[in-house]
Amino acid sequence: MTYTLNAAHLYGDLMNTYGDIGNILAMGYYAKAVDATINTELISLDDQFDPAKYDFVLFGGGQDYEQTIVSKDLQTKKVPLTDYIEAGGPFLAICGGFQMLGHYYIGAHGEKIPGIAALDHYTLSQDNNRFIGNITIKNAETGQTYYGFENHNGTTFLGKGERPLGDVLQGHGNNGQDQTEGVIYKNTFGSYFHGPILARNEALAKRILKLALQRKYPDADFSALDQLHEDLTKNVVVKP
Amino acid sequence: MSIKSTVATWTGKSAYWFLHTFRGGGSSLPGKLALKLDPAILKQLAKNYDVIVITGTNGKTLTTALTVKVLKEQYPDILTNPSGSNMKQGIVTTFLTAPKSHQKPLAVLEVDEANVIMVTKYITPKAFVFTNIFRDQMDRYGEIYTTYQKILDGVALAPDATIIANGDLPLFHSKKLPNPILYYGFDYQPDADEQAPANTDGLLCPVCQHILHYHRRTYSNMGKYFCPHCGFERPQLTYKLNALTKMTPTSSDFEINGQTMHLNIGGQYNIYNALAAYAVGRFMDVNPVKISHALSENDEQVFGRQEIFHVGDKAVTLILVKNPVGLNQVLQMISTDDRPFSFAALLNANYADGIDTSWIWDGDFEQLPKLNVPAYISGGERYRDITFRLKVAGVPTKDLTIVPDLTNMTAEIQKLPTQQVYVVATYTAMLQLRKQLASQGIIDGGMA
Repeated sequence: MTYTLNAAHLYGDLMNTYGDIGNILAMGYYAKAVDATINTELISLDDQFDPAKYDFVLFGGGQDYEQTIVSKDLQTKKVPLTDYIEAGGPFLAICGGFQMLGHYYIGAHGEKIPGIAALDHYTLSQDNNRFIGNITIKNAETGQTYYGFENHNGTTFLGKGERPLGDVLQGHGNNGQDQTEGVIYKNTFGSYFHGPILARNEALAKRILKLALQRKYPDADFSALDQLHEDLTKNVVVKP
Repeated sequence: MSIKSTVATWTGKSAYWFLHTFRGGGSSLPGKLALKLDPAILKQLAKNYDVIVITGTNGKTLTTALTVKVLKEQYPDILTNPSGSNMKQGIVTTFLTAPKSHQKPLAVLEVDEANVIMVTKYITPKAFVFTNIFRDQMDRYGEIYTTYQKILDGVALAPDATIIANGDLPLFHSKKLPNPILYYGFDYQPDADEQAPANTDGLLCPVCQHILHYHRRTYSNMGKYFCPHCGFERPQLTYKLNALTKMTPTSSDFEINGQTMHLNIGGQYNIYNALAAYAVGRFMDVNPVKISHALSENDEQVFGRQEIFHVGDKAVTLILVKNPVGLNQVLQMISTDDRPFSFAALLNANYADGIDTSWIWDGDFEQLPKLNVPAYISGGERYRDITFRLKVAGVPTKDLTIVPDLTNMTAEIQKLPTQQVYVVATYTAMLQLRKQLASQGIIDGGMA
């Protein structure tokens, strides 16, 4: 392979509850089309995060208990992670990972659990309710439609410098009130989408992949990605 | 017996008789009617029984069936609930329709995790069996800790009952309980130092919250675990798998506490089910030779979940999958087949399948291309998701046929280049395929 991206899977052994690893697998699949490969490294409890080393970071969702443990360890990585995000490093944060990049979220027992405030949102909780079901959103900038599955108790409210990943067409989104879903801040993308989001949304997978590739290889041409279209209807047996 | 429970029992039995005679089934309705009239009906119905409750995410049905076989070696009179009737109403129906018995009979019950408390409110079991707790259709059941707590809420009403638990699962060693506990597990290899793959659930040490390591890992987060940080480790095992001699897709040979065993079903996960049945057998004083005999019988009724049928010259093994741990175990079992085979994966996302299909990304489909599978089929209502999953795993497009409409499956199976075919399917995809097979006379109609 001509090009190599280094990906960090943040707390992949504790925060990978809904197949989040599929996001990296899907990106790796599209990367092959432009002769690129993705090396994935697990960064977990007590590990150092070196912002200069990575071209992509995935931070998935976890179970309540695991998240309380992660939220403590995460404080030790607050500075390098914030540096990475501010420098425009491509980052995908899902569900609990999305919440923890913000100021705080409310835990299963009503306790306020600090995030790292790298992004300006905060997350409250609902009493005995979860937003569960299929969700569709539209990204304002590209007009692209994204499909996923949401399953969350938390309600997230974006801050001033944050744009949503999309406007809710069907489903609940960040909080069920303001029609926003997810976040975009610099090259950081947050979302409640399971599916996983990059496995079910080719356009977004290629968008983030291209960001990562061009950031590392500014002189190379990755426009072939734009022409690529994964045909999942090839070899389909049609009813006679 | 109070008038209320007499009337409730009579109503339930009449309903069962009516349904059984005129509709050819019984199901949960008789239990439902009886419960309406007397919510505490189980107390009356089960009062003469010694009850063993089997619960957990995977393997409940087979563990229950194997346990019944083992106990039958010594106890002639055993009541058990049919597969799937593992919630309150089904359990009441099971007791309502039990044949009359004069001795103190045994009841071996498969009980849904959240329904354990519905049983222990009225019955004090002699023993509980905990098979395992994995992530399973989280849109319905929630997290592993929540599921375990639901079980323990039920167990708390029976603090003297013995717990027979899978000792290889860290969760079952995470809480201090008043009950006597006996553990079973795998112990046939010398110690090493291994770590589970990153996307494994439940790896935190319950004492110090660091990541657990394994002297030997069997699958998922199970094995001879230890915490390098605080020294927490797997509890002492009473029932040990001490040798694993041979595994094929249709059988396993092994030793438990020195007793050789032959099991007519493949898959490492089924050895855990056999271990659980052995443990209950020993707990109930069945001698090991008799247990070995019971487990080695080729009983098609017991092993029915893994179903083989014939389409033309193809021998098709149909396997239900519902979560990544189960799927990975099926892939492991398939990998022990030394004959060439084709592979099909059928994915639906209805309520009974689990409406969130994300879990397929935690399944280790990457194993498949290493097994030289010459042809694949992906299909079901969510064929796009499963097709993309297989492609990402490295399945070449030229080897893959996509069958969104399962009524085309039998025709496509016949075109496959191998005689052996494995089909993994989610619940409603399996029902749709079975319906199709039944309409073509390939299998008997319906599914209980």
